[in-house]
Amino acid sequence: MKYLFLIIALLLAVASVGIFASFPDVQTDLPVIYWVTDPNPAREEQVLIFHQWLIRNGHGERVELQSPEDVRAFRMRRLTEPIIEAARTANPDGAKMWDGANRYRPVEQIDLPIELVLPATELRLDSANRDTSKKIIQTISGVGSDIMDMGPLRYFVSLGVLTDVTERARELGFDTSRTYQAIVPDLTEVSFNLQTEEYERRQYAFPCNVYVQLLWSNNATFARYGMEPPPRRWTIEEFERIGKELVTRANPPGERHTVFFSSDVDPITLMRSMGLSVYNETLTRCTLDDPRFADTLALLYKWTYEDRLLPSLEDRQSFDTQSGYGGSVLQLFNMGNYAMVRIGRYGLIQFRRFGSMDLSVSEPPHFDFPNTTTGTRCATVYQKSAHPDLALRFLQYLASEDYNMQIVRDADALPPNPKYTDTEAFRRPVDYPNEWGIHEAFSDAARDIAIVNPLSPFVVKRTALRYYFDARGKVMADQASPEEAAADAAAGINAEIDKTLEEQPKLKVRYEEAMQRQKKIDRLREAGQKVPLEWIDNPVLRAYYQYKGWAE
Amino acid sequence: MASSKKKRRETLLAISFLLPNMLGVLTFVIIPVAFSIFLAFSNWDLRLHNMFKSEPMEFVGLENFIRLIWGDEQTFHRFCNWITFQPVDDPEAPLIRGEFLRYLGNTLFLMMGIPFSVGGSLIAAILLSKDTRGGSRGVYLWLIFGSVLIISSIMLAVIGLGSTAMVILLTGLACGILVAGMGGGVTAYRTLFYTPHFTAGVATFLLWKKLYNPGTGPINQALQPVLDQFSAAVNAVPAGVVVNLRWLLLGLLVLLFGGGVRSLRRSWVDGELGGRAMIIPAILLCLPSLVAMIWTFPRSEAWLLIAATGLILLVHLVLMMTKGRDFTPPTNMEGVGSALVLSLGMMVGQFVLLGLAAVTESLPAMAADGLESPGWIADYHWAKPSIMIMGLWGAIGSNNMLLYLAALTNVPQELYEAADIDGAGRLQRFWHVTWPQLAPTTFFIGVMATIYGLQGGFEMARTMTQGGPAGATTTLSYFIYIEGFETGRLAFAAAVAWALFILVFSLTLFNWKFGNKYVND
Repeated sequence: MKYLFLIIALLLAVASVGIFASFPDVQTDLPVIYWVTDPNPAREEQVLIFHQWLIRNGHGERVELQSPEDVRAFRMRRLTEPIIEAARTANPDGAKMWDGANRYRPVEQIDLPIELVLPATELRLDSANRDTSKKIIQTISGVGSDIMDMGPLRYFVSLGVLTDVTERARELGFDTSRTYQAIVPDLTEVSFNLQTEEYERRQYAFPCNVYVQLLWSNNATFARYGMEPPPRRWTIEEFERIGKELVTRANPPGERHTVFFSSDVDPITLMRSMGLSVYNETLTRCTLDDPRFADTLALLYKWTYEDRLLPSLEDRQSFDTQSGYGGSVLQLFNMGNYAMVRIGRYGLIQFRRFGSMDLSVSEPPHFDFPNTTTGTRCATVYQKSAHPDLALRFLQYLASEDYNMQIVRDADALPPNPKYTDTEAFRRPVDYPNEWGIHEAFSDAARDIAIVNPLSPFVVKRTALRYYFDARGKVMADQASPEEAAADAAAGINAEIDKTLEEQPKLKVRYEEAMQRQKKIDRLREAGQKVPLEWIDNPVLRAYYQYKGWAE
Repeated sequence: MASSKKKRRETLLAISFLLPNMLGVLTFVIIPVAFSIFLAFSNWDLRLHNMFKSEPMEFVGLENFIRLIWGDEQTFHRFCNWITFQPVDDPEAPLIRGEFLRYLGNTLFLMMGIPFSVGGSLIAAILLSKDTRGGSRGVYLWLIFGSVLIISSIMLAVIGLGSTAMVILLTGLACGILVAGMGGGVTAYRTLFYTPHFTAGVATFLLWKKLYNPGTGPINQALQPVLDQFSAAVNAVPAGVVVNLRWLLLGLLVLLFGGGVRSLRRSWVDGELGGRAMIIPAILLCLPSLVAMIWTFPRSEAWLLIAATGLILLVHLVLMMTKGRDFTPPTNMEGVGSALVLSLGMMVGQFVLLGLAAVTESLPAMAADGLESPGWIADYHWAKPSIMIMGLWGAIGSNNMLLYLAALTNVPQELYEAADIDGAGRLQRFWHVTWPQLAPTTFFIGVMATIYGLQGGFEMARTMTQGGPAGATTTLSYFIYIEGFETGRLAFAAAVAWALFILVFSLTLFNWKFGNKYVND
């Protein structure tokens, strides 16, 4: 038995060595950094362009090969396929060393001397660890990835696991002035500066792309029922009128509805258009216990169950085929089950696969204040990254022309830097004339009406969302009236804020200061006076105050 | 000397074998469990306490446990003031209830499926203990029967009479299963029934998600034509007839209640049931009538139910006092197990009748527009029953079935022979021989099912519903995950986990104390 035990132990040891030898870091001479991102096929190309960008900008090791011996020695180096691909395509002498299939040419056929630059790092994709819970556990345990894609990053900043890149961003040219101002709240976090004794905004990320949600119309669906597609900007009344007309024409009476006006409508933009946000001006209290939120929920219920403009949860599950990138919604949009779909410019990745669709876009319908939601998939650098400088280099790359133009070509939402949306390649892509006139709608919306969802520093975003969706779900399931659901949501979120303040006494100072400011704002508003814009933390209400002329 | 040296060597060798496993258990089980106790009384929050933060962790006493029930401390203090008749500070302020109770409710609701699951496992085991081999003639007959069915389905599809690929597939599958059973004997069926247990959980959840698809799922595809026909039948009958069916159902409910009370009284008279042992079963029996009264109050049904059930109770109490045994102080708990099983069954039966009565009342109105098949997991009201049905399917072919199969083979044949000599029928053989002999197995299955039931629901919630709609399928285990890994309140999540442990432990103790006695009876 003991021999068997020893043999098993030996086998395990051998297997461990084998696994270690297969680690990417062991297989390559270059330092490896990992990028936790989604499994979008475009990422491979983005990695290649990053390696090429490093080479072209001289961020790497310069190699001069004078003799056949130098070449032989160079060939002994451990270089992986993606690095060879980048070195071959980005170096002027690359083709002398490797053929089109990335194989080394015979030494005697190489025309010497050769000058090559090898990238400073090898970037590897990691789409297996993009789940938020995994990121949380890995980062607080000290084993997070060097670069991580995030949505809003406030929670991770509060964990203290992200690198503050403010100063380096200025040096390397990827500070917040290089992107849309609307998404700056999603890239930064306010913190207290002990030296100046003031709160200041610190940068923790740079966008990989920027999304703006608009409503796409499948013009063929509208034409099928003898209707014109909706206008770019429209009111709630217009939305309801056109929607009712379409579903009446498209669905024979007495039969199950299979054609809906839109895949969904964001209730947040509806209530914003009445001047209501989830939080107050200073993000200190939840304001969902407001008739405007109850009205929004009631309207959503009416559109779903009475007018049948939007699919219910049951309808959605009936349609659910769960196939293709972006889920079944886009397939259903193509097939005409949804005349409109709410998605960013990245919807084009799938639409282009459907063929040459006849498309147009509209802003979300609004009551008074036209607005839409924007956000970003941004890249952050892990606090305990083994190669922080190389990871920062990646963020610098995200601000570069090489990367931005790849986003422009691929239609993966908007490029991080708005100046690249002024190009012909963005506005009139040669291969897709059917899209001309659409792209500007997204870049214009990002500049003019797009606002990020506000995040309060006093409550975890996902907790607040849980209460919000609970309220929405209760109304949709006839479990509560809109007023009750709105009151429950506000009470729940406010209780969570109180709980956070109890748990984190250090936040109380900031909270008290913000509450004092809130009282001043309330007094000024009651008196009908203008409010200094810098007093307002909530990006939605900042925009609304400016729109109404209430800010100075 | 040599012997002790050898012994020491052997001991060291044994320890070296055991050490990796012991270290594993210590590192990954014992230390984390012990640490989680400390955690539940602390304020550990990932946002404050991790390797990047230097905040000291604090002892917060019972604060996390108070939050389980009352949501926040203010609500707790208001509650304390209220029960001690002291003035409440701000009566207008909203009451914040802890989410724990809501999700415990969901968990307990889902656990109502356990008796059905245990029953299903038992029925499956009884069926699978019979030999199904039909010989070559039987196989031949089934082959002909199956072929006729499949060809008929294909012909219907060809001439456009509505037969679908799904019908052909299901018919073929059913025939194949029958033929496999006739040819391969009971082993084929046992393997088939056990399939859910060794199929990966997430895969089966996704499969059920497809089955539950409200529009295109096979369940609703099969159900909708039936509902259409049923609606037509209901619409053809005068509405008054359908609505008044509820009287019949409520009458049956009263009869069932009366039967239950009579059984309890008889057991007590025969000395099989102790005085104190009657209390909980009697309450369980009264529960559906009480619920019905509250539901229907102040209509005539409520008064009639009060009168009927009250009268029955009164009559039996009088009978107990006049014709029963000496009214000894209610001290013993003898026979509580049997009484609980009986009263639980009767209670479920009464609730079913009550539900049917409620349905018949609104049936004509519902059928007027045509009955729609349920939205299953997309519908707030159907989401929990949908998950229970899925759980029932999984439980029938689980280890419980295997345990029952093993237990059935251990029932002595002499007992059946004796029962036959006494002239016992099939049901009596089951009730007086098989069921008591299976009691230890049922007890074990019941205890384990309760434990798993309280701990379960996480995978289903995560893969099928994300806890929705509107939190309808969020169970305690999913709540622990949300609080621990989405919000970062590890201490609070640990408190929920320990509260869950206390529940599991208490229920297991209760089962052990009363169930074990019942088993040994």
